[in-house]
Amino acid sequence: MREPDFNDLAARLMQSGIAPRHAHRTVQEIRDHYDDLVDAALADGATSQTARRQAAHELGRIEDLVSEMSARRELKTWAFRYPRAAMVVYPLACLAVLPAAPVNAGIANAPLLARWGASLLAAGLFTGALLLVLQLLILFG
Amino acid sequence: MAKSNPPFMSGVPELLLLRLLDNREMYGYELVRSIKAATGEAISLGEGVIYPVLHSLERNGSLKARRKPVGGRTRVYYSLTKQGRGRLQDLQDDWRRIQQGIETALESPGHA
Repeated sequence: MREPDFNDLAARLMQSGIAPRHAHRTVQEIRDHYDDLVDAALADGATSQTARRQAAHELGRIEDLVSEMSARRELKTWAFRYPRAAMVVYPLACLAVLPAAPVNAGIANAPLLARWGASLLAAGLFTGALLLVLQLLILFG
Repeated sequence: MAKSNPPFMSGVPELLLLRLLDNREMYGYELVRSIKAATGEAISLGEGVIYPVLHSLERNGSLKARRKPVGGRTRVYYSLTKQGRGRLQDLQDDWRRIQQGIETALESPGHA
Protein backbone atom coordinates (compact mmCIF):
# COMPACT_ATOMS: atom_id res chain seq x y z
CA MET A 1 0.00 0.00 0.00
CA ARG A 2 1.21 3.47 -0.92
CA GLU A 3 2.26 5.89 1.84
CA PRO A 4 -0.72 8.16 2.63
CA ASP A 5 -0.57 11.67 1.22
CA PHE A 6 -1.37 13.94 4.16
CA ASN A 7 -0.42 17.12 2.35
CA ASP A 8 -3.68 17.75 0.60
CA LEU A 9 -5.93 16.08 3.19
CA ALA A 10 -6.87 19.37 4.90
CA ALA A 11 -7.73 20.97 1.56
CA ARG A 12 -9.82 17.98 0.52
CA LEU A 13 -11.70 17.99 3.83
CA MET A 14 -12.41 21.72 3.55
CA GLN A 15 -13.50 21.33 -0.07
CA SER A 16 -16.09 18.84 1.15
CA GLY A 17 -17.36 21.42 3.64
CA ILE A 18 -15.56 20.36 6.83
CA ALA A 19 -14.87 23.30 9.15
CA PRO A 20 -11.18 24.34 9.05
CA ARG A 21 -10.58 23.63 12.75
CA HIS A 22 -11.79 20.03 12.36
CA ALA A 23 -9.91 19.61 9.07
CA HIS A 24 -6.56 20.82 10.42
CA ARG A 25 -6.86 18.87 13.65
CA THR A 26 -7.80 15.68 11.79
CA VAL A 27 -4.68 16.00 9.65
CA GLN A 28 -2.52 16.39 12.74
CA GLU A 29 -4.18 13.44 14.47
CA ILE A 30 -4.00 11.15 11.43
CA ARG A 31 -0.35 12.05 10.86
CA ASP A 32 0.50 11.32 14.52
CA HIS A 33 -1.48 8.08 14.35
CA TYR A 34 0.49 7.00 11.29
CA ASP A 35 3.79 7.84 13.03
CA ASP A 36 2.68 5.81 16.08
CA LEU A 37 1.85 2.83 13.84
CA VAL A 38 5.24 3.09 12.15
CA ASP A 39 7.01 3.29 15.52
CA ALA A 40 5.09 0.24 16.79
CA ALA A 41 5.97 -1.79 13.69
CA LEU A 42 9.63 -0.79 13.95
CA ALA A 43 9.61 -1.79 17.62
CA ASP A 44 8.27 -5.20 16.52
CA GLY A 45 11.33 -5.60 14.31
CA ALA A 46 9.94 -4.57 10.91
CA THR A 47 12.16 -2.81 8.41
CA SER A 48 11.48 0.86 7.75
CA GLN A 49 9.78 0.11 4.42
CA THR A 50 7.65 -2.71 5.84
CA ALA A 51 6.72 -0.59 8.86
CA ARG A 52 5.49 2.23 6.60
CA ARG A 53 3.55 -0.15 4.36
CA GLN A 54 1.97 -1.87 7.37
CA ALA A 55 1.08 1.49 8.97
CA ALA A 56 -0.53 2.72 5.76
CA HIS A 57 -2.57 -0.49 5.57
CA GLU A 58 -3.73 -0.19 9.19
CA LEU A 59 -4.63 3.45 8.75
CA GLY A 60 -6.58 2.78 5.58
CA ARG A 61 -7.45 4.91 2.59
CA ILE A 62 -7.51 8.68 2.89
CA GLU A 63 -10.56 8.71 0.57
CA ASP A 64 -12.50 6.68 3.16
CA LEU A 65 -11.62 9.14 5.91
CA VAL A 66 -12.74 12.06 3.72
CA SER A 67 -16.07 10.36 2.99
CA GLU A 68 -16.57 9.45 6.70
CA MET A 69 -15.97 13.06 7.70
CA SER A 70 -18.13 14.42 4.87
CA ALA A 71 -21.04 12.25 5.97
CA ARG A 72 -21.15 14.10 9.31
CA ARG A 73 -23.17 17.26 8.88
CA GLU A 74 -22.25 18.57 12.33
CA LEU A 75 -18.58 18.86 11.30
CA LYS A 76 -19.36 21.08 8.33
CA THR A 77 -19.26 24.85 8.13
CA TRP A 78 -22.42 26.84 8.53
CA ALA A 79 -22.54 27.62 4.80
CA PHE A 80 -22.45 23.93 3.90
CA ARG A 81 -25.09 23.02 6.47
CA TYR A 82 -27.49 25.74 5.36
CA PRO A 83 -26.54 26.49 1.73
CA ARG A 84 -29.79 28.29 0.87
CA ALA A 85 -29.53 30.60 3.87
CA ALA A 86 -25.87 31.22 3.06
CA MET A 87 -26.79 32.26 -0.48
CA VAL A 88 -29.03 34.97 0.99
CA VAL A 89 -26.95 36.01 4.00
CA TYR A 90 -23.51 36.22 2.36
CA PRO A 91 -24.41 38.73 -0.38
CA LEU A 92 -26.30 40.86 2.20
CA ALA A 93 -23.34 40.73 4.57
CA CYS A 94 -21.04 41.80 1.74
CA LEU A 95 -23.29 44.77 0.98
CA ALA A 96 -23.42 45.68 4.65
CA VAL A 97 -19.64 45.75 5.05
CA LEU A 98 -19.08 47.60 1.76
CA PRO A 99 -19.17 51.08 3.40
CA ALA A 100 -16.47 49.93 5.79
CA ALA A 101 -14.09 49.19 2.90
CA PRO A 102 -12.64 52.76 2.66
CA VAL A 103 -12.18 52.86 6.45
CA ASN A 104 -10.36 49.53 6.35
CA ALA A 105 -8.21 50.74 3.47
CA GLY A 106 -7.38 53.87 5.49
CA ILE A 107 -6.36 51.82 8.52
CA ALA A 108 -4.26 49.54 6.35
CA ASN A 109 -2.47 52.51 4.75
CA ALA A 110 -2.32 54.73 7.85
CA PRO A 111 1.35 55.91 7.47
CA LEU A 112 0.81 56.84 3.82
CA LEU A 113 -2.39 58.69 4.68
CA ALA A 114 -0.63 60.54 7.54
CA ARG A 115 2.13 61.73 5.18
CA TRP A 116 -0.44 62.76 2.59
CA GLY A 117 -2.44 64.67 5.24
CA ALA A 118 0.68 66.43 6.54
CA SER A 119 1.69 67.46 3.00
CA LEU A 120 -1.81 68.78 2.35
CA LEU A 121 -1.76 70.76 5.60
CA ALA A 122 1.69 72.23 4.85
CA ALA A 123 0.60 73.22 1.34
CA GLY A 124 -2.56 74.83 2.73
CA LEU A 125 -0.64 76.79 5.34
CA PHE A 126 1.92 77.95 2.76
CA THR A 127 -0.79 79.06 0.31
CA GLY A 128 -2.74 80.78 3.11
CA ALA A 129 0.37 82.61 4.29
CA LEU A 130 1.20 83.68 0.72
CA LEU A 131 -2.32 84.99 0.16
CA LEU A 132 -2.19 86.84 3.48
CA VAL A 133 1.09 88.53 2.53
CA LEU A 134 -0.32 89.52 -0.84
CA GLN A 135 -3.47 90.86 0.77
CA LEU A 136 -1.40 92.91 3.25
CA LEU A 137 0.71 94.28 0.40
CA ILE A 138 -2.43 95.34 -1.45
CA LEU A 139 -3.87 97.03 1.65
CA PHE A 140 -0.74 98.78 2.95
CA GLY A 141 1.67 98.64 0.03
CA MET B 1 -10.45 2.50 7.58
CA ALA B 2 -8.53 -0.64 6.72
CA LYS B 3 -11.37 -2.82 8.00
CA SER B 4 -14.94 -1.84 7.44
CA ASN B 5 -17.57 -2.36 10.09
CA PRO B 6 -20.81 -4.11 9.21
CA PRO B 7 -23.94 -1.92 9.26
CA PHE B 8 -25.20 -3.36 12.57
CA MET B 9 -22.09 -1.91 14.21
CA SER B 10 -23.62 1.53 13.88
CA GLY B 11 -23.36 3.30 17.24
CA VAL B 12 -20.89 0.78 18.68
CA PRO B 13 -17.76 2.89 18.15
CA GLU B 14 -19.46 5.77 19.96
CA LEU B 15 -20.43 3.56 22.89
CA LEU B 16 -16.94 2.05 23.18
CA LEU B 17 -15.19 5.41 22.95
CA LEU B 18 -17.41 6.96 25.62
CA ARG B 19 -16.95 3.93 27.88
CA LEU B 20 -13.15 4.00 27.59
CA LEU B 21 -12.97 7.75 28.08
CA ASP B 22 -15.07 7.41 31.21
CA ASN B 23 -11.97 5.96 32.89
CA ARG B 24 -9.36 8.49 31.77
CA GLU B 25 -8.44 10.91 28.98
CA MET B 26 -6.82 9.37 25.91
CA TYR B 27 -5.69 10.24 22.38
CA GLY B 28 -6.72 8.53 19.14
CA TYR B 29 -4.03 5.89 18.79
CA GLU B 30 -4.36 4.99 22.46
CA LEU B 31 -8.12 4.63 22.06
CA VAL B 32 -7.84 2.25 19.10
CA ARG B 33 -5.39 0.08 21.04
CA SER B 34 -7.63 0.16 24.11
CA ILE B 35 -10.68 -0.89 22.10
CA LYS B 36 -8.77 -3.85 20.67
CA ALA B 37 -7.53 -4.83 24.15
CA ALA B 38 -10.87 -4.28 25.92
CA THR B 39 -12.85 -6.31 23.38
CA GLY B 40 -10.26 -9.07 23.03
CA GLU B 41 -9.77 -7.92 19.41
CA ALA B 42 -13.36 -9.05 18.68
CA ILE B 43 -14.04 -5.50 17.62
CA SER B 44 -11.28 -4.00 15.57
CA LEU B 45 -12.24 -0.59 14.32
CA GLY B 46 -10.71 0.88 11.20
CA GLU B 47 -8.06 3.12 12.69
CA GLY B 48 -8.94 6.35 10.89
CA VAL B 49 -12.66 5.90 11.49
CA ILE B 50 -12.47 6.99 15.11
CA TYR B 51 -11.51 10.59 14.32
CA PRO B 52 -14.81 11.56 12.67
CA VAL B 53 -16.59 9.90 15.63
CA LEU B 54 -14.43 11.73 18.18
CA HIS B 55 -14.94 15.08 16.45
CA SER B 56 -18.70 14.53 16.28
CA LEU B 57 -18.84 13.63 19.97
CA GLU B 58 -16.87 16.75 20.78
CA ARG B 59 -19.17 18.83 18.59
CA ASN B 60 -22.28 17.60 20.41
CA GLY B 61 -20.69 18.30 23.78
CA SER B 62 -20.08 14.71 24.92
CA LEU B 63 -16.30 15.09 24.81
CA LYS B 64 -13.82 17.86 25.23
CA ALA B 65 -10.45 17.95 23.52
CA ARG B 66 -7.20 19.51 24.67
CA ARG B 67 -3.71 19.60 23.23
CA LYS B 68 -0.98 18.23 25.42
CA PRO B 69 2.74 18.02 24.55
CA VAL B 70 4.00 14.45 25.09
CA GLY B 71 7.39 13.13 23.96
CA GLY B 72 8.03 15.89 21.45
CA ARG B 73 4.57 15.63 19.90
CA THR B 74 1.43 17.59 20.66
CA ARG B 75 -1.28 15.03 21.28
CA VAL B 76 -4.99 15.77 21.22
CA TYR B 77 -6.43 14.21 24.35
CA TYR B 78 -10.16 13.57 24.71
CA SER B 79 -12.09 13.40 27.95
CA LEU B 80 -15.71 12.84 28.87
CA THR B 81 -17.97 15.75 29.86
CA LYS B 82 -20.97 15.58 32.17
CA GLN B 83 -23.19 15.51 29.09
CA GLY B 84 -21.05 12.66 27.73
CA ARG B 85 -21.65 10.62 30.88
CA GLY B 86 -25.38 11.02 30.37
CA ARG B 87 -25.02 9.97 26.74
CA LEU B 88 -22.95 6.94 27.80
CA GLN B 89 -25.63 5.91 30.28
CA ASP B 90 -28.33 6.17 27.59
CA LEU B 91 -26.28 4.17 25.08
CA GLN B 92 -25.48 1.49 27.65
CA ASP B 93 -29.16 1.14 28.53
CA ASP B 94 -30.11 0.90 24.84
CA TRP B 95 -27.37 -1.62 24.16
CA ARG B 96 -28.39 -3.85 27.12
CA ARG B 97 -32.02 -3.77 26.03
CA ILE B 98 -31.10 -4.77 22.47
CA GLN B 99 -28.70 -7.44 23.72
CA GLN B 100 -31.39 -8.89 25.99
CA GLY B 101 -33.91 -8.88 23.15
CA ILE B 102 -31.54 -10.66 20.80
CA GLU B 103 -30.61 -13.24 23.45
CA THR B 104 -34.27 -13.95 24.10
CA ALA B 105 -34.89 -14.35 20.38
CA LEU B 106 -31.90 -16.65 19.98
CA GLU B 107 -32.94 -18.85 22.89
CA SER B 108 -36.52 -19.26 21.69
CA PRO B 109 -36.51 -18.66 17.93
CA GLY B 110 -40.08 -19.97 17.58
CA HIS B 111 -41.40 -16.88 19.32
CA ALA B 112 -39.17 -14.49 17.45
